[in-house]
Amino acid sequence: MSGPYVPEIATDRDGNQHEVQGWQDDFYGGKLGFWLFMFTEVLMFGAMFMALAYYNTLHPQDFLDASASLNRLLGGVNTVVLLISALTMGLGLLNMRVGKVKEAKLMIWATIILAAAFLVIKGFEWRAEYNHGIFLMHDQMLPGSSLPFGQKLFFGLYFTMTGLHGFHIIIGIGLMIWLLKRINAEKVRPDHHILHWNIALYWDIVHLIWVFVFPYYYMIGAGGVTGGH
Amino acid sequence: MDTNTIDYAKERSGYYKILVGLLLLTAVTFIQPHMFMTESTFMAQMLIAVVKGWLILMFYMHLKGETLIIWMTGFSLFIVFTFFAIVIGVDVQKFQFQDESHITSSATPIAEVGKESAPSAHSAQ
Repeated sequence: MSGPYVPEIATDRDGNQHEVQGWQDDFYGGKLGFWLFMFTEVLMFGAMFMALAYYNTLHPQDFLDASASLNRLLGGVNTVVLLISALTMGLGLLNMRVGKVKEAKLMIWATIILAAAFLVIKGFEWRAEYNHGIFLMHDQMLPGSSLPFGQKLFFGLYFTMTGLHGFHIIIGIGLMIWLLKRINAEKVRPDHHILHWNIALYWDIVHLIWVFVFPYYYMIGAGGVTGGH
Repeated sequence: MDTNTIDYAKERSGYYKILVGLLLLTAVTFIQPHMFMTESTFMAQMLIAVVKGWLILMFYMHLKGETLIIWMTGFSLFIVFTFFAIVIGVDVQKFQFQDESHITSSATPIAEVGKESAPSAHSAQ
C-alpha cells in the first residue's frame, strides 16, 4: 500500500501525454466520505434515542424517577472531561495544520489521557449502580424484581447507550494511538493531514452524542422530588 | 490537503471561546431544573443540548462555510427526525397492542402477566 506515488500517464490520439488525476490527496473527498460515515453513526444513535423517547412516552414517571437516581456529579464531570478533550483534539489538529507537529502530538496524548479518565469515571459509576443491584440481567433488572417496569426499560437503555458510547471512546483511543504512529512515520504531515482531520471529526461526533445522552439520562429527573445521589 | 489559509492565533482563540461557551451552557444545564422552565425540564435540556450541538458542529467540526456538508447533514437529520415523528407521533398515539405488549406492563411478575390488563400510562401523554 505504501511507497511513492507514481502517476499514471495517458496518451491521447495526437500523441500528447497527460497525467491521470490521482485521488490520493483529495482532501475534500476524504472529508466528505467521513461525513457519510458519521451519518451512519447518527442513524444508529438516532434509532436508540427514538426507542428511548418511545418508552419515555409510555412510562414518563418511571423515567423521571430513574433519571433522578443517577449520579449527576460523575455524569457532569465526564461531560466537562469530554468537552476539554474536544478542545485538545481540535488544538492538536490546528497545530498539525500549521506545522507544529510536536505540539500536535502532545495534544493527541492529552486527548488520550482525558478519554481514559472518562472511561475510569464511567467505570466507577457503573460499579456503584451494580452494587445497587442495577445492571443488565442482574438483581433489580430481572423480570421478577420490584423495580418498576419503566425504570427497567430506562436502565436497560442507559447501559446500552452509555456502553456503546464508551465503546466508541475505546475505538477513539485506538485511532489516536494509530494516528500517533502514522505521524511518527511521517505518513501524516502538515501537508497531508486528512487522517488527523477525520479522527478529530470522529472525536467530535463522540462528544456530540454525549451532549444529548447526558441531559436525557441524567438531567430530565433533576427537578424531581426524589433528587439525585 | 487543506488549502485554506490558516490564521493560527485567530483559530486558537476561536477554540477557547467555544470552550467557554460550552462550559457556560453545561453550567446552565445544571442550574436549569432549579431556576427556569422548571415545568418543562425535558424541553429546556434538549434546547440547551441543541445549542451546544450547533456550536460543536459549526466550529469544532468546521461546518461553518461548508455548504454541501451542511445540506447533507441537514438532510440526514431530517430523515432521522421524520421517522422519529412518525413512530412517536402516530404509533404511540394510536398504540394498538396494549394488552399484548410487554413494554407497557408494570412490575407484575411474568407469571401474572396476562391475568390483568396493562396500565395505560402512555395514554396520559
